[in-house]
Amino acid sequence: MPAEPSSVAAAIETSGLSKTYRGGIAALVDLHLRVERGEIFGFLGPNGAGKSTTIRLLLDLIRPTAGRAVVLGLDSRRDGVAARRQMGYLPGDLRLADRLTAREQLDSLIRLRDSTAPLRGPLCERLELVLDRPIRELSRGNRQKIGIVQAFMHRPALVVLDEPTSGLDPLLQAEVRTLLRETAADGRTVFLSSHSLDEVQHTADRVGIIRAGRLIDIDRVETLRERARRHVSIAFGDRVDPSEFSALDGVSVEQTNDNLVRLSASESAMDAVVKAAARHQVVDLVSEPADLEEIFLELYREADDAN
Amino acid sequence: MPIELLRRGLLDRRRALIAWSLGVSAYVLLIAAIFPSIESSKELDRLVESYPDALKSLFGIGAGSLTSGPGFLDAELFSFMLPLFVLVLAIGSGARTLAGEEDAGRLELLLAYPVRRSRAVLAKAVGVAVEVALVCTTILVVLAVLDPLFGLDVASGRLAAAVAGLAVIGILHGWLAVGVGAAMASRTLALGVPAALAAGGYLIGGLHALANWLDPFRFLSAFWWVGSSPLQNGVREWGILVVAAAALAALAGAMLLFERRDLKVP
Repeated sequence: MPAEPSSVAAAIETSGLSKTYRGGIAALVDLHLRVERGEIFGFLGPNGAGKSTTIRLLLDLIRPTAGRAVVLGLDSRRDGVAARRQMGYLPGDLRLADRLTAREQLDSLIRLRDSTAPLRGPLCERLELVLDRPIRELSRGNRQKIGIVQAFMHRPALVVLDEPTSGLDPLLQAEVRTLLRETAADGRTVFLSSHSLDEVQHTADRVGIIRAGRLIDIDRVETLRERARRHVSIAFGDRVDPSEFSALDGVSVEQTNDNLVRLSASESAMDAVVKAAARHQVVDLVSEPADLEEIFLELYREADDAN
Repeated sequence: MPIELLRRGLLDRRRALIAWSLGVSAYVLLIAAIFPSIESSKELDRLVESYPDALKSLFGIGAGSLTSGPGFLDAELFSFMLPLFVLVLAIGSGARTLAGEEDAGRLELLLAYPVRRSRAVLAKAVGVAVEVALVCTTILVVLAVLDPLFGLDVASGRLAAAVAGLAVIGILHGWLAVGVGAAMASRTLALGVPAALAAGGYLIGGLHALANWLDPFRFLSAFWWVGSSPLQNGVREWGILVVAAAALAALAGAMLLFERRDLKVP
């Protein structure tokens, strides 16, 4: 690997990164991934897919069985300390010093980092952190806020977040999304994992999908959303011929039941579905995004078809 | 070395350390206060004389007499209770600070900071040594203060050396607990292995002279290296150095082992 100056190297570049745990469980297999500076990258997969394993490899908390990771131009093993100096991390299962207050915990973490924390004050205010009660008395959401503040407070070049909005109420989730966008707008990079497409689709530029330790797809979020089929249920005032819908491009009718039609449609077909429905009296219309598992299945089907 | 890990660790332990110091002081005071009434009863020496050799050997009742200050304190404090106090403190602290924190999942965040693993172990180990040193210093000061009050008549050089022997044995086993935690992230083993080694070492140190088959193993006992009945016989100065060297080796091993393995994560 040529020694790129750390200011221009990719935020994350892994080559053949693999982790097999004792007992032969392959948690991560041959990961080749490049995340650019200033990008918000969503790392999606079901629980146990290898998201946290990848993140812990980037932070040198665990060691690869093959391959390597270069973070901000620094080898995650050899120059791990230097790399982590410019990183912020929110663990998926955050454990804090329960007897301390948030203020004491953040003071301690800043000293450990031996740096300044220019964003600490503003972040504590924005997230309305409870500063002076022992952490053990705080709700899960309030603890999570401490984790978010410590991950961002030193203005790191790369923020790595493992399921960042779990335990947060919708208002705070929105606040965190804003924070992610600001970070990217500042030229810094965000790498976040999630098991929910919904959580990342409003913020991430690109999404990598991992399943059973293998990266099976990297896509721009728009592409993925287009591909994700929605489940639409329409209740009509009268009985409606389902073939009006099944004839549309990109639509398949899943079920008809008296006046109710259930169908799945790609994003691009939604306009035609609504217009076709509008020719009748509509009592109710519900559209649900496909969940990630379905997207996986679709990706697998595509992979099978390609073979 | 990440000073903050040391600072935070000691701050978190301040209440426990105060309690330990008060408890040990109270015990030492109690024992010392008994001495004036023992001193005058010469029958005790005759009674003790009739004890089995193994018992005398284990409890530091050697050539000396229970009715002298050094002999009394050797038997009542330095042969068993003080080593026990210091070992429980040291091993507990050594197991808690690394294996315990890792078990609780609290190391993941800290080690994601720009901290080298070996330095983190060093900071934790220094914390253990400071705890042992604080409690041992308390013992030293309390005994030095009580000496004239109860006529214990202990040579101050001997007392300091005896407490140093205590401290170095404590630090060795505390660092072994850190080392086991560094090697395998199990709090149970980090407590159990050094405790078993301490118990074995104690028995060998006390009984090797009586049981011939134990004699070749005496080199494995930190207690043998430091020597028994330290207030009457003095300690082996070079023995203290040997135990200190073993402690440093345990620390070096801990630093190396912790660098090499995967962190256990929740």
